[in-house]
Amino acid sequence: MDVNTKKLKKNAFRVTKERGLTASRVRVPGGNLDARYLSLLQEIAEKYGNGTVHITNRQGFEIPGIPFEQMPRVNEMLQPVIEGLNINQEEPGKGYPASGTRNITACIGNRVCPFACYDTTAFAKRIEKAVFPNDLHFKIALTGCPNDCAKVRMHDFGIIGMTEPHLDPQRCVNCQACVKACRQKSVQALETVNYRPQRNTEKCIGCGECVINCPTRAWTRSDKKYYRLTLFGRSGKKNPRLGEDFIKWADEDSIVKIILNTYDYVKKYINLQAPGGKEHIGYIVDRTGFEEYKKWALKDVTLPEIAEVSTPMYWKGIKY
Amino acid sequence: MSENAYVPFLSEIKEVIKHTAVEYTFRMAYEGEVKPGQFFEVSIPKFGEAPISVSGIGDGTVDLTIRRVGRVTNEVFEHYAGDKLFLRGPYGNGFDLDNYKNKELVVIAGGTGLSPVKGIVDYFAANPGEKKGMTLVAGFKTPNDILFVEEFARWKKAMDVILTVDCAEGDTSCQIGLVTQYIPQIHIEQVEEAVAVVVGPPMMMKFTVAGLLERGFKEENIWISQERKMCCGLGKCGHCKIQDRYVCLDGPVFCYTEGKNLID
Amino acid sequence: MGYQLNVQGFNALLSELSQEYLIYAPKCYPGGNTFSDTDCIRYGEIRRAEEIVFDRKSDYSFKEVLFPVSETLFYFTEEHVKEGDCPRKKGAVIFLRSCDLHGVKNLDEMFGGNGPSDYYYQRLRENVKFVLMGCSAAFENCFCVDMGSNVSEDYDFSVDKKDDFYYLDCKDKEIGEIISGLPHGEMEVCPEHVTQTKVQVRIPENLDASVAKSTMWDEYDNRCIACGRCNFVCPTCTCFTMQDLFYTDNGKAGERRRVWASCMVDGYTDVAGGGSYRKKNGERMRFKVLHKVLDYKQRNGHHMCVGCGRCDDICPEYISFSNCINKLEKAMEEVSGNE
Repeated sequence: MDVNTKKLKKNAFRVTKERGLTASRVRVPGGNLDARYLSLLQEIAEKYGNGTVHITNRQGFEIPGIPFEQMPRVNEMLQPVIEGLNINQEEPGKGYPASGTRNITACIGNRVCPFACYDTTAFAKRIEKAVFPNDLHFKIALTGCPNDCAKVRMHDFGIIGMTEPHLDPQRCVNCQACVKACRQKSVQALETVNYRPQRNTEKCIGCGECVINCPTRAWTRSDKKYYRLTLFGRSGKKNPRLGEDFIKWADEDSIVKIILNTYDYVKKYINLQAPGGKEHIGYIVDRTGFEEYKKWALKDVTLPEIAEVSTPMYWKGIKY
Repeated sequence: MSENAYVPFLSEIKEVIKHTAVEYTFRMAYEGEVKPGQFFEVSIPKFGEAPISVSGIGDGTVDLTIRRVGRVTNEVFEHYAGDKLFLRGPYGNGFDLDNYKNKELVVIAGGTGLSPVKGIVDYFAANPGEKKGMTLVAGFKTPNDILFVEEFARWKKAMDVILTVDCAEGDTSCQIGLVTQYIPQIHIEQVEEAVAVVVGPPMMMKFTVAGLLERGFKEENIWISQERKMCCGLGKCGHCKIQDRYVCLDGPVFCYTEGKNLID
Repeated sequence: MGYQLNVQGFNALLSELSQEYLIYAPKCYPGGNTFSDTDCIRYGEIRRAEEIVFDRKSDYSFKEVLFPVSETLFYFTEEHVKEGDCPRKKGAVIFLRSCDLHGVKNLDEMFGGNGPSDYYYQRLRENVKFVLMGCSAAFENCFCVDMGSNVSEDYDFSVDKKDDFYYLDCKDKEIGEIISGLPHGEMEVCPEHVTQTKVQVRIPENLDASVAKSTMWDEYDNRCIACGRCNFVCPTCTCFTMQDLFYTDNGKAGERRRVWASCMVDGYTDVAGGGSYRKKNGERMRFKVLHKVLDYKQRNGHHMCVGCGRCDDICPEYISFSNCINKLEKAMEEVSGNE
C-alpha cells in the first residue's frame, strides 16, 4: 500500500494505530450545525467506517475505521457538510484543504445561554472564514462570558465575551441585587454609594451579572460588544500553561486582525527544522520575546478607546 | 393642587434627657393636638427619616424618645438643646384616653414600648380623679435599660407600679422576671370591666395578651400598638401595610379584637 | 367620533399633540433587556407613530410616567426645604392598553386617597390624556377578562392599527378638532378588545385572610428569589422607599428622594433595631397576592390586579401569579377544614 501520509493529514484524515485504516475529521465551527448533517455523518460511518462516530475535543466529528482507499468517496460524501457549514474549500468534492488550523470551538453562546454576552457561534464562523484553510497549528476558542465554560485559556487565542454595563441612576431602586450578585458570583466590582451601585471599572470583568440581576433595567448592556483576548494557553508535553490576558475590552474586528497578524508573525519566525515543521505559537513567542510578537500582532489594529493592553506578558504553567 | 404632605417643618430641640446609654428623650417644640401613641417622622441628619412615637406631651412640646440602634438613630444624638430638627406629623390614630377613663386600667409595656404609652400613664398620674384603679407593669432587659427612671417615683405615688427586669445581676431595686409573670398579681376588682394597654416587642405582646385573657380580660378591652416600618406616614409607601390595614393610618393602636386577626 | 388616519395623518396628529404634551408609549429599546441581544419594550417618549410598539406587550407598564422609578421630593439645608422640580414640564399623552387604563384608576385611588393626597403624583397626573391601544388578541399570560379590565371607556381617544391605517375613536373635543383638520376618513370605530384569554383565573368568593395559614405558600419559600421584578413591572404596585442623600458631613444639607420599593425584596419590612416581619419568600408572595386580590378590594371595593400578566411574563423562576390565584380555592378548603 502506498499512501502519502503528509497529504492525507493535510486533507483532514489521520494515520491511525490500525494499519490501512484512517479516520475522517469533520470541522464544525462554533460546534453548531443543522441536525440534518448528522444523518449524513451516520451514513459515512456506516458505509465506510466502523459504524461509530467520535465527538472530538474540539467540537468536530471523527469518523474512524475508514480504509485509506475510501478517502475519495468519503470526501465526496462530505461535500454537503463542507458546503453547508460554509467551510472555505479549494476544490469541491476533495474534502478539507487543510487541518493545521484547528476547528474554532465555542460555547453555546447567547443563542441559548442567558449569561453569554454575544453570539459565539456567529463570531466563531467569522473567524473560521478569515483563517481557514491554513496549515499552521492555531487553536482558537470562544466563550460567551467570563465563566469560560469553553476553557478558552487552554487555547492559543481565547476570546471571552464582555459587556460594559451602563447604569441609569434614575431607574435604580437600591434593591442590592447587582451588588450581591457581583459580590457572590463575580469580582466585587460594585459597592453602594448614596443608595446606588458604584462600579469599579478597573475591577469589572464585564460579565454582565449586574445587568442580568437588575429588576428595573437600571443596568443595561453596552451597544458595543467587547471581549477579553487571552493568548497562548496550551496543553502539551513541555510546558502546559493557561492563556494570559492580552487585551481587555477588545472589539471583534481587532481580534480577527490580531489573529491574522499572528499568522504572518508565525510564518516569519517558525522553526522550519521543528518535527513535521510544526511548532506551537507559544514556543515561538518564548523565543522571540513578547515585545516582538506584540509589534506584529497589533500592526494596523485600532483598538476601542477603553481597551486595555497588558504588557509585558508572562506565562506560568508547569515546566518539565 | 394638593398640599405637599412630604415637606417637614423645623422644630427646636428644647431639652435632651438621657435615660440610658442608648436612649434619649428629645423635647421638641410643637404646637398642636397630639395623642399618646401617635408618631412623628423625624429627619435624622446623616440617616434619614424615622418614625418616632410621642413619649410625652407638654405645653408647646412633644417628647420623642429615640433609641440609638445601629446607624438608624445615631446621628440625632449629636443634637442638643437649641438645635433644630425637621419633623412631620403627628401621624397615626394614637390612644383614645376616653376608652380608659373611670375604668380599672392596666398598662403593660416592654422596653421602648413604654414610650408610646407614657402619655397615658402621665395623664392618669396627673388626673387621678379620672381613673378607677391603675397598674403599670414595665419590663426591661436589664436595670441599665430602664427608661424614664425618674418618672417611676412619681408614678408610684399615683398607681400600682411593677417594674421588672429580665435579669438583674445583683441589682435589687426592681423585680426580676418577664412582665407576663406579674399578670396574676395585678390588683383588679372587676376584671370583665377592666381595660388594658399592651405595647412591646411582638412576642411580649402575644404572651401578655394571652395572660390577660386568661386572667379574664375581654378582648374588646385590650389595646395594642404595632411597630412597623412607617416610611411615609401618609398611607402611600406601603411598608406598614398589614392585610387591609395601614399601620400609619389605621393604627398603630388597634383594639385587640381587630389586631388579633392581623397577619403580617 | 370615529376616524381613519394613514401613517402621515397619525404622525401629523402626534406632531400637533407634541406642542402641548410629551407623548409616552411602549417603545423598543434595542438590546435593552436582561440578556444580550434582547430588546426591552418599555415606556419612553416618542415622536413618531412608527416608534410605538403595537405587536408586543410592554415588559414594564406605563406606571413610571406618572410615578417615576426615582424622584427627588425636595432639597434641604439646615433651615430650608426646597421642593424638587416637576420631572415633566408639559402635559402628557400616554398610550396604553385597557388593563393599564384600569391600573390608572388604582393609582388614582392609592395616591389620591388612602390618607392625604400625594402631591408628587398629582403634579404628574395633571393634564394627562390617555390613548387606549386596542387589543385584537390576548398576549401570553394576559387574564384581563377575568379581572374585568378588558374593556375601558375612560380614554381620550383610542387607536387600533390595522395594516397601514390607524383607527381612532376620539372622545376628547380638542383632539377631535385637531383630527378634523387632518386628511382623514370618518367611520364608526369601536376599539378592539379581548373577550377571551388563554390564561383564566378564579378568585374564590369565600377568600379571606385565613388563607395565609395554608401550606400553599410554602413552595414559594424556595422557588421565589425575592428579586421584585413582579412588583416593578406591575401597573398597580405603588410602594416606595425614602432615601436621604447628604451633601455635607454634618448631614444637614442634602436631598430626599423616593424610589420604587418591592414587598418581595429584602429590607421591605425592616424596623429599627433589626427586626423584620416577612422573612420567608412564601410569606412575601402571600402578602403580594392577597393585596392584589383581597386586601385592596376590602378597602376600595374592587381588585387591585388588572390581569396584565406582566408579573408572569418577567418572573425568572417561572412563578405564575395567575396560577397562584387559582390555588386559592383549594387553599381555602384546606384552612376551613372542608377537604
